[in-house]
Amino acid sequence: MNLTSILFYSFEALAALSSIALIFVRNVFHGALLLITGLLALAGIYVLAFAEFVAVTQILVYAGGILVVIIFGIMLTTKLSGKPLLIEHAYRFSGTLAGIGFFALLIFSIVNASFKNLPPPPTRLTEIRTIGVGLMTDFALPFEVAGILLLVALIGAAIIASSTKSNKT
Amino acid sequence: MTLALPLVSFIVSFAISEKYSWLVSFSAPFLLLINTLAAFVVFYWTWNNVPFTAEWTWITFGEQSFTAGILINNTTALMLVVVTLVSFLVNFYSIGYMAGDPDIRRYFAMLGFFTFSMLGIVASSNLLMIFIFWELVGFSSYMLIGHWNQKPEAADAAKRAFILNRVGDAGFVVGLMIVWSHTGSFDILHLSSVAGGAGWQTAASLGIFCGIIGKSAQFPLFTWLPDAMEGPTPVSALIHAATMVAAGVFLLARVHFLFTPVTLNVVAVTGCITALLGALSALAQYDLKKILAYSTVSQLGLMITSLGAGAPEAAMLHLFTHAFFKACLFLAAGSVIHSLHQTQHQSHTTFDVQDIRNLGGLKQKLPYTFLMFVFSGASLAGIPFFSGFLSKDAILTSIFVWKGDVTWKWLILVCSFLVSFITVLYTFRMIWSVFFGNETSTKNLSVVEPPPVMRAPMALLAAASLWIIVSQNPFSFSGWVYNGLASGKHFHLTLVEIFSAAWVLLALLLAYLIRNRPFDAAALRSGFYFNDMYRKVIEIPAFKTASITALTDRKWIDGFLHVGAYVQLIVAHFTGWIDRAIVDGVVDDAAGMAKGIGSFIRSFQSGKIQLYVFWASFAIIIFIIWTLL
Amino acid sequence: MFPIEHFLYLGAILFSAGLVVIITKKNMIMVLLGVELMLNASNLNLVAFNQLYPENINGQMFALFVIIVAVCEAAVGLAIVIQVYSLHHTSVPGEVDELSD
Repeated sequence: MNLTSILFYSFEALAALSSIALIFVRNVFHGALLLITGLLALAGIYVLAFAEFVAVTQILVYAGGILVVIIFGIMLTTKLSGKPLLIEHAYRFSGTLAGIGFFALLIFSIVNASFKNLPPPPTRLTEIRTIGVGLMTDFALPFEVAGILLLVALIGAAIIASSTKSNKT
Repeated sequence: MTLALPLVSFIVSFAISEKYSWLVSFSAPFLLLINTLAAFVVFYWTWNNVPFTAEWTWITFGEQSFTAGILINNTTALMLVVVTLVSFLVNFYSIGYMAGDPDIRRYFAMLGFFTFSMLGIVASSNLLMIFIFWELVGFSSYMLIGHWNQKPEAADAAKRAFILNRVGDAGFVVGLMIVWSHTGSFDILHLSSVAGGAGWQTAASLGIFCGIIGKSAQFPLFTWLPDAMEGPTPVSALIHAATMVAAGVFLLARVHFLFTPVTLNVVAVTGCITALLGALSALAQYDLKKILAYSTVSQLGLMITSLGAGAPEAAMLHLFTHAFFKACLFLAAGSVIHSLHQTQHQSHTTFDVQDIRNLGGLKQKLPYTFLMFVFSGASLAGIPFFSGFLSKDAILTSIFVWKGDVTWKWLILVCSFLVSFITVLYTFRMIWSVFFGNETSTKNLSVVEPPPVMRAPMALLAAASLWIIVSQNPFSFSGWVYNGLASGKHFHLTLVEIFSAAWVLLALLLAYLIRNRPFDAAALRSGFYFNDMYRKVIEIPAFKTASITALTDRKWIDGFLHVGAYVQLIVAHFTGWIDRAIVDGVVDDAAGMAKGIGSFIRSFQSGKIQLYVFWASFAIIIFIIWTLL
Repeated sequence: MFPIEHFLYLGAILFSAGLVVIITKKNMIMVLLGVELMLNASNLNLVAFNQLYPENINGQMFALFVIIVAVCEAAVGLAIVIQVYSLHHTSVPGEVDELSD
């Protein structure tokens, strides 16, 4: 029981609890906030899994970028009535069924699979240089494609979001 | 040829157009005169000779063939003469009586037709032909009685005559059928050689007697004869005194061999009852013609009685004499009526000329007619020196001989004598009230005798009412007529003859003594209420039955049809329901099931994204479970 | 340092939770949140397995690219949600069923 274990399991518990709470929450805003906590907890787990760059990217992009945009979206799509938007649940039975089904499936497969033993922890953490070099050499194609994808998504989102007036006429 | 001539007259009378209707008054009597002469010729040839026969095949059904033939023996020849002579005289008389009548053509035509039919009855050789002419005679009687068809009583009387005739003819047909089924032939000569006494002969002869009852106005079918007086008086003279009603008597004489003793007894009793009824009713009548009608009924009854007593020759003799004196009586009555009608026209008074209470003391004004009445009336009453006395004597003698010692036959004899007594009474009453006494309605009127064309026939007929026409001896009826008819049966009982003569004179005395006593008996006057009884018993129930059957038909039969229609309607509805609910239901349910399955599957495409996700993940789970585990 | 199953269990929980959120929420944004959750679960798996092979960084690279794709998808998805909201005035995914029969 050293600090890392406590950190690790507390991060895991946080992530799990936030995601489970996300199922039961009624307020959309609360949902977004719960997701942020979950993502941040995940970032902590990434660090403990020796993937620092991913953890940082996660915090920056996901929690800082996407969730903010999502919160903007929440604001834009609620009726301005002053009351917090409460949502109901639909298809509880089917959702529960699917969720428990998948969960059982995954647990079953994880339990029955035999994994390699973990290697000893590395002495040196991954440098950013390695990731950068990898992006330019081994993963150049996905890198470029991702760039194009981002461009397309940007243009697309802009167009979709802005064509309210011109399409309605 | 004698047969054909009246038919020619009938056709000619119809063919003559209306403009020349006066021509009929000459053509008809003229043709009948030739007819009479021809009849005399026939008579001369066949009297006391072998009977003349002629036959032709008429119709054939397979192997059966019916013949039409002529048989002329003594009886026929005698009747030929009687019928044609009386018919000619009546035709002649009608020239005067029916002058000015608008339907004179039809009148003479029917007279001719009637004579033709009567001669047909007389001359036929088989029963079928007789029956056909029988019906034709009935038809022409119907036409003639209802000649003045504007009068409802005339039409009614004609209808009743025909119907009562027909009722009798029903029995006639049954008799004919029995004869046919047992002997296979209708021919009279053939039948006369058949052995007698069998049971079928009784039945057949009873059937034939039914027809005779209808035609000759016997009890109980006699009510039509007094009603038939609605026709013109010459018609009454010809048909209902001399010839048609005598057709029954003639037929009985013709087929007398067919009648068994049982039937003959029935015949005798019927005749006796009829004679008594007729005589009593005649005593109480006020209508001149009705007295004569009931008198005819009574005399026919006497003839039938003698036939039942087994003496057809006596009946034929009486028929022979009765034809002449009754025709004369009717014509004389007609002359009284005619003269008084002329007087009424001129003086514009109205009283019923036929009611004898309105008449009286006409001896001075109508002396000629009075003389005619006396002659023929005396013959009717049976006064000696007249023909009627002789023929009635023959009848009474035959009954006397027939009775033997049987009690009820004695009764018939007594009744016959009673009838002859009453005959004198009513005849005297009639003549007295018309010609003697004080004039009542005709006091201030001038009445003239009818024209000679009417007087001449009367004279001839009155002359024929004397004794010489029967036999030279005024006291013996076995003259040429009787001997000619009765081959071999001669009997003559002086006792009966003297008794009947005295009897008649006694009756005459009594009649003179009570001549002024009014005689009023409603029962007798209306013919013992027979007419009313018939109306109540037969006509009204017949109408009621008809209306009941009509009602039954409407309610029950139509109701039954309605119920049937309703049932069918219900069945149709039921079948329709079955078709709709069950047959269509099966089809509909099959389609519905397909629809249900389709919409169930279609519900997967609900457009709800989350359901899509669910089903997709569900499918993936299943897939993974299935393949990987 | 930790047994890999722990990572994987958490990943399973996150994934199932994300699936349930997608199916049972009646708000479009919540559905997007669920989608992000599922993507993060897969990211966790990738990073966890990268520990088993420390000589290369394939797992981490893949996770980076997943994040990039998630960003694009979230952006475009939100744009669509906003557009749908302005058309139908509802953010309940069940009510936008014009594709139904």
